Amino acid sequence: MIRPRQHILSPLAGTLVCLAAIFGLSSWAEAQGKTESACVSCHRARSESQPRTPMGRALALPGANSVLKDIPKLTVRKGPYIYTIETHGGESTYSVSDGTRTITLPIHWNFGAGAQTWVLERDGHQYESAVSYYPSIPGLDFTTGDEDLKPKNLDEAVGRPIELRETKVCFGCHASNAVTNGKMTYETLRPGVTCEHCHAGTAAHLTDAVNGDFDSTPPDLRKKSAEDISNFCGQCHRSWETVVRNHWRGDLTVRFQPYRIANSRCFDGADPRISCIACHDPHQDIVRQDSTYDAQCLACHSSSAAPLASSSPSEDRPQTHAKSCPTAKSDCVSCHMPKIKLPNGHLTFTDHQIRIVKPGEPFPN
Amino acid sequence: MGTNRRWNSNWRAKSGIRLLILILALFPALCTAQANPVSFSDIVSKATAARDANDLSGAIDLYQQALKLNSQWPDGWWFLGSLQYGTGDYASARDALSHYLQITPNAAPALAMRGLCEFEIGDYSPSLKDIERALAQGAANQSRNEKILRYHEALLLTRTGRFEDALRSYAFFTHDEDSNPELLLALGLAGLRTPLLPKELRIDQQELYISTGKAVFDFMRHDLDVARLEFQQLFARVPAVPNVHYLYGYLLYAGDPDAAVVEFKKELEVTPSNAVAEVMLAWIPLMKNDGATALPYARKAVAEDPALASAQLVLGRALAEIGDTKDGIEHLEATVQLQPDNLEVHLALAKAYSKFGRKEDARRERLLCLEMTKNDTTPATHP
Repeated sequence: MIRPRQHILSPLAGTLVCLAAIFGLSSWAEAQGKTESACVSCHRARSESQPRTPMGRALALPGANSVLKDIPKLTVRKGPYIYTIETHGGESTYSVSDGTRTITLPIHWNFGAGAQTWVLERDGHQYESAVSYYPSIPGLDFTTGDEDLKPKNLDEAVGRPIELRETKVCFGCHASNAVTNGKMTYETLRPGVTCEHCHAGTAAHLTDAVNGDFDSTPPDLRKKSAEDISNFCGQCHRSWETVVRNHWRGDLTVRFQPYRIANSRCFDGADPRISCIACHDPHQDIVRQDSTYDAQCLACHSSSAAPLASSSPSEDRPQTHAKSCPTAKSDCVSCHMPKIKLPNGHLTFTDHQIRIVKPGEPFPN
Repeated sequence: MGTNRRWNSNWRAKSGIRLLILILALFPALCTAQANPVSFSDIVSKATAARDANDLSGAIDLYQQALKLNSQWPDGWWFLGSLQYGTGDYASARDALSHYLQITPNAAPALAMRGLCEFEIGDYSPSLKDIERALAQGAANQSRNEKILRYHEALLLTRTGRFEDALRSYAFFTHDEDSNPELLLALGLAGLRTPLLPKELRIDQQELYISTGKAVFDFMRHDLDVARLEFQQLFARVPAVPNVHYLYGYLLYAGDPDAAVVEFKKELEVTPSNAVAEVMLAWIPLMKNDGATALPYARKAVAEDPALASAQLVLGRALAEIGDTKDGIEHLEATVQLQPDNLEVHLALAKAYSKFGRKEDARRERLLCLEMTKNDTTPATHP
């Protein structure tokens, strides 16, 4: 067993022992909720930046919703119904009225860091709010995907009922420790994607690290193949096989980046240069400047790039290089990964199906 | 079981007649006979008149005479086959419809009717093929047609051991159909993985299958509390009967995979050699990309039943998932030979090839998967 050098461990060990005393590390489940504050001791930069990312803010609890705090009243009329979101003192309510009757529900679950949808509870059932907040308007409109719902009465106008299975999927991705052994566990839920959401076993690692045992360190995700990383991220962002298995098609699939990128001619599951994490650091906020990604494109598409991974000599095939672009050497994604607006016009996604885009061509589906 | 048999025979007889009438109504163009020598025309006219007068045996005789004069007259074979079907002469009807299909391949109504004829004469394998082809080509264009075809398809899927496919077909009947003993018995046979037709089951066994079918029926209708109670009663009543826990687990899987795992493990306590339970115990972690948990179950499934395609599939997937991609691909390539039309095998192959760096093979499999699913698409809606 490899033991870390004591002089490196000691300051950390002190911190962790202290934390153990506070949180009772013997009950690691209890401590699990506090891992970020412990993770920061060793993994400071990432632990501090990650909670500020859209993934880190994928779910907000009342009082922590800066969008609704800044806009205390939002309202929109959709057909015969008027929707109003009001916020006072950190508490928000969602109301829908048909002019004679009004249903008002407290907002407890705020999904999304930019655009926001609310999961509402009524009479023991959960509903996805019929309307969502879109920063691009800025205001309320139908929740993406719910545009075609035709509520027959005020009760149906509240939103789309969601079954327990879907609830687990929603919270399973937008929160951490929300699902334990297949059951929703609101008592252990932590809003947003936290360390242990991706790094399984952080609590055990934390406990063991106190004792200088680093054998239980969670697996290094950077060592996964591009295919495996795509499937790992695809657990929430939708993997290629999830989309195909569900027979999903249409331009809304642009939201499912692992699916789109695997449709690219250049996608090679054994080549780390096309992996999700080759371009995106999940601990950092998303970078929206196109030129930032040039280096990743040129890692393959230049005469000086290494040969393609799947043309390795071990496979008895000639080593080949990806073609270089005859048009430009910068801002590659501005042409080859076009921005696609969803049909409601409020959300724009970068299409990860990398390709030579021809003018006027339909969305490749 | 008298009621059961009466329902069975009445329902099937009425169904057959309804189907016949419907098909004839839907294809008026078929009623136009070709211009031919006078004697042929006369016979055709008489045959049409006999058919209109509901003189089935007379019409059959006249169509046979006409076909002796012109064996390439498709409408003649169609009417002859349809009329023979109506009189219960299924073997002759099958032959006439085969002639019609030689001249007019892929005619969905004829495929459907020939499939039903083959079913009646016990030629089950071609019957299933014809009915599946007919459904794929739009024979279920009306609710009544669909009920008849899907019911027979489900019976045949059960008979050929494709139990999960059969349950999916039976799900069609749980939306707006009331339960009846024959349907419940058929559901029970698929549920308990018994490759028999209802008529082939011993009478003293029927009650168990009907009770099982009722639990499945209620589950499929989303009467989950009722179904749970019915399954609990079954567990208590027949604790040693194989596949009861597997069935409940299979039904639970879509909504609650963790509860399904519990049932699959209980099934293995009852039947330790149950390969399909092992397959499902491997499948559930595989859907979370967890090959290590899946692998022991997958290995055991293959050990129990090496010919089971789903066992080879989960073993191939599990091996590829844990990094033994080459072996995994070998298993998956063997599986695709067993089940070339199974989407899951192609999905697994695409993933394994991709991981192994066989980029072009992965792309070929991906395109194949997209092709296989292109006619049955759902717009992506919720995130």
